[in-house]
Amino acid sequence: MSALGAWRRELAMGVRFACAGRAGWTRTALTALGVGLGVVVLLLAASVPHLLAARDTREAARAVMMSEDGQVRIGFAPTEYHGRPIGGLLLQPEAGADTAVPPPAGLDSYPGPGEMVVSPALGRLLDSPEGALLAERLDAEQVGTIGEEGLVGSGELYYYAGTDRLGEDANRAVGFGTDPWGGDAMDAALVLLVLVVCVVLLMPVAVFIATAVRLGGERRDRRLAALRLVGADVRMTRRVAAGEALAGALLGLLVGGAGFLALRQYLGRITVWGASTFPSDIVPSAPLAVLVLLAVPVSAVCVTLFALRGVAIEPLGVVRQARIRRRRLAWRLTPILTGLVLLLPLARSFRDADDGTLILAGIGIVLLLAGTTVVLPWLVERVVGAMRGGPVSWQLATRRLQLSSGPAARAVSGITVAVAGATALYMLFAGVNSQETEETGQDPDRAQVEVDAYELDGTEAQGLFGKIDAQQGVAATFGLVSGYAAPVGADPGAADLAESSAVVVVADCATLRELARVGTCADGDVFLSRSAAGGEVTPQPGDRLNLALDYTGVPRPGAEDLWTVPAAAREVTARPDPSGMEYGGVLATPAALDPARLPEPSTRALLRLDPGDPDALERVRNAVWDGPAEGTDASVWELTTEQASDDIRKVRRGLLIGATGVMLLIGASMIVTTLEQLRERRRLLSVLVAFGTRRATLGVSVLWQTAVPVVLGLAVAAAVGTGLGALLMAMVDLPVGNWLACWPVVAVGGGLIALVTLVSLPPLWYLMRPDGLRTE
Amino acid sequence: MNEEPGADAPALLAATELHKSYGATPALAGADFAIRAGEVVAVMGPSGSGKSTLLHCLAGIVPPDSGSVRYQGRELSSLPDAERSALRRADFGFVFQFGQLVPELTCVENVALPLRLTGIARRAAEARAAEWLERLEVADVRHHRPGQISGGQGQRVAVARALVNNPRVLFADEPTGALDSLNGERVMQLLVAAARDTGAAVVLVTHESRVAAYSDREVVVRDGRARDMAGVA
Repeated sequence: MSALGAWRRELAMGVRFACAGRAGWTRTALTALGVGLGVVVLLLAASVPHLLAARDTREAARAVMMSEDGQVRIGFAPTEYHGRPIGGLLLQPEAGADTAVPPPAGLDSYPGPGEMVVSPALGRLLDSPEGALLAERLDAEQVGTIGEEGLVGSGELYYYAGTDRLGEDANRAVGFGTDPWGGDAMDAALVLLVLVVCVVLLMPVAVFIATAVRLGGERRDRRLAALRLVGADVRMTRRVAAGEALAGALLGLLVGGAGFLALRQYLGRITVWGASTFPSDIVPSAPLAVLVLLAVPVSAVCVTLFALRGVAIEPLGVVRQARIRRRRLAWRLTPILTGLVLLLPLARSFRDADDGTLILAGIGIVLLLAGTTVVLPWLVERVVGAMRGGPVSWQLATRRLQLSSGPAARAVSGITVAVAGATALYMLFAGVNSQETEETGQDPDRAQVEVDAYELDGTEAQGLFGKIDAQQGVAATFGLVSGYAAPVGADPGAADLAESSAVVVVADCATLRELARVGTCADGDVFLSRSAAGGEVTPQPGDRLNLALDYTGVPRPGAEDLWTVPAAAREVTARPDPSGMEYGGVLATPAALDPARLPEPSTRALLRLDPGDPDALERVRNAVWDGPAEGTDASVWELTTEQASDDIRKVRRGLLIGATGVMLLIGASMIVTTLEQLRERRRLLSVLVAFGTRRATLGVSVLWQTAVPVVLGLAVAAAVGTGLGALLMAMVDLPVGNWLACWPVVAVGGGLIALVTLVSLPPLWYLMRPDGLRTE
Repeated sequence: MNEEPGADAPALLAATELHKSYGATPALAGADFAIRAGEVVAVMGPSGSGKSTLLHCLAGIVPPDSGSVRYQGRELSSLPDAERSALRRADFGFVFQFGQLVPELTCVENVALPLRLTGIARRAAEARAAEWLERLEVADVRHHRPGQISGGQGQRVAVARALVNNPRVLFADEPTGALDSLNGERVMQLLVAAARDTGAAVVLVTHESRVAAYSDREVVVRDGRARDMAGVA
């Protein structure tokens, strides 16, 4: 028979063994479950390119093509509700435009005035009790739902509102939808980052799959020994074993495919950090899917053959470990050293790196991370081998590890890559974050919210302040109206005219105290404020000022509204208001200067809210909202002490979640391995209990057996991750500010130990039953 | 058959009217049994007759569905699991047919295990274990792991482990079932001799007459009922 024929025949025999009897099915099902989990992750990863492209396409489909001669007037009316952004577009087609200009993607027709079409998620929110305050804000009649093609994600909050109140000067659209932008080639640094993330997240998946196909190894070896007895040679038994693994892997592909389809539907229903997607966008890229389909079964066969390398299967029902060779360190250090050789010269010189350097850096990082998985089996063997003494539970666990440190090292490898990579990236992001975080100068202790409004005259501004102050949950309102005043006789054509204008603020005494150290104050007082920085124009008592200036501080030609700075005006020192702004100029109370005389004023209100009322902010938003038919000209901001880059915060959080997910996957792998070991040892466990071993002793032994390799892996990962993080930061010339960046992922690792032990205890208790002693 | 020791002595371990079923399959159906201190009793019967189940009930490993098992006057089934485990650690020893040695531990560590479980320090426990290995003629494999020794040697190590804490009762379930006749004979000689030296009673489950020949008395279990061939039980 040809070699190919022999392979085919013995692989088929292995497949038959995999499906023989209850035990065979159980083992194959466990393998399929493990492989399936890994396949789900791989298929999700393979879907990322299509997901990003689909997102681009959807965003482009509803893009507004603006032009001055457009026939559809539009107004952007976004808002926010309990931290969730809501997109909104006002539409006002001119006569006949609704037939000439098709509506945006997802709409069948333009909503009429007073009507709106909402995304399904926004519709649900508006109809729910939690959305009651938002429903007061977006109170137009819902006449339809935006179709899937007009939304970026299934959970997106978006609406289109019809209106007839947009003026001639409104923005105009000639149409909606463009070709997908496609974007520029990915930024080089981003490629590097993506590379590291892929290695960090996918390497443990590979480890997991490799673990899964080795399930039931001991029982399989006994079966192979029986085959040897009836004449099978060593090569034949290996091919049979490969067939068994192949069956599990193929079934795993089916399980993974089904799991992927199910998860796809679920992912379409959830929103993370405001981002959501549609199941139809989660489609694996064809080449990557084919790669997964081929790589998983081929890897399963290779892993099995590799695992059998060190096992000598004898015909007399005896399976002996081949001569145990001590692992050697020399060659195992090669990948790490090569990685260091590639990375170290890049320290402090990476910022201007060309593509070649970037590739070298990527290879260096991958080698460094992958190298830890090669060194770890040696390290685990040495450390575990040196463990002596201790109580019985410790002895049972460490001896088990000493005899077979391979599975432990494999599990540890996955953890180490995930934790080391996550730690390094965490440090890098922390460094970037510290540079990107700006002190805002805001003081949330004095006020928590700022409202800015435009195009209100002084009287309207006072009305707005009153409206805000009347809202439940608003403890104090500091409202001010500000504009400019120029010295009388200034030449409207002078280039530096705007720079010679003085700021004029009109507010009550309580508010002026937030702007300057005014001391005693009564309505009718005027103050001349000087800021610490200086440089501003501060008029003197008795100066005559022209208030008829536009919002840039330039006098309106031909207009003049004169006001004299009272002789009693006092000079005071400015202080930063709660939003961090300092006003140097004229500070006047309303009785001294009617705010209605400022022609194009800015209106600001700084609000102190009741900290026990989570809805107060939303009520303020409702109060300043001018209705979805018009949008609002007022902005509402929350004051914070520092402004960190949201993207970086999200990436850090995502990294932790990703690392946790990977650790859970590894935890699942460890649980399966532990349960497999326990199942193989059920008779021994029963015997140990029979002669009086406490169940707790065996339980603690399982804990040690899990904890020892994980703690070892975490320690190495923390060291390697911190070292790599420091190296990466040196490469981009950032100071290392957070040497303890590893602790969140290390803490997750600690949780993993507890989880694996806890999950293993019920089956352990079950397997310790005396039934294990029965042979008939 | 040997002379019965202490024929007038009270029973050390006695069971009456034991019933035990596994699902719908009855394993014991009213079995009675008694053994005196220092006595070696062979429990015989065909496969599936319930002899191993009888041993498990006697040792307090498996609770009977009904009936009584009394050890030194104490009802075993009324003891909580922790106390029964403690009893097994201190007063009972076990030898099974196979799969009983912890594969990761060396032979001396395996033998020392019952002592360590009772709180004896490792060095002292292993010193005593080494004496027993010597006595059972397997001292030369003391630092080997179970996978590195023969079946006969493994059973001798198991006997050493069963006797190392000087049990009052040794339960042996087909101790020679996996051995050839020569090795089986040697294991039985050593087991019975050691038990007699220490005064332990031996409950010996076997289906082989040549193994039962080492006993003082035979009890036959058939269809879940025990019948004392000498009419004692």
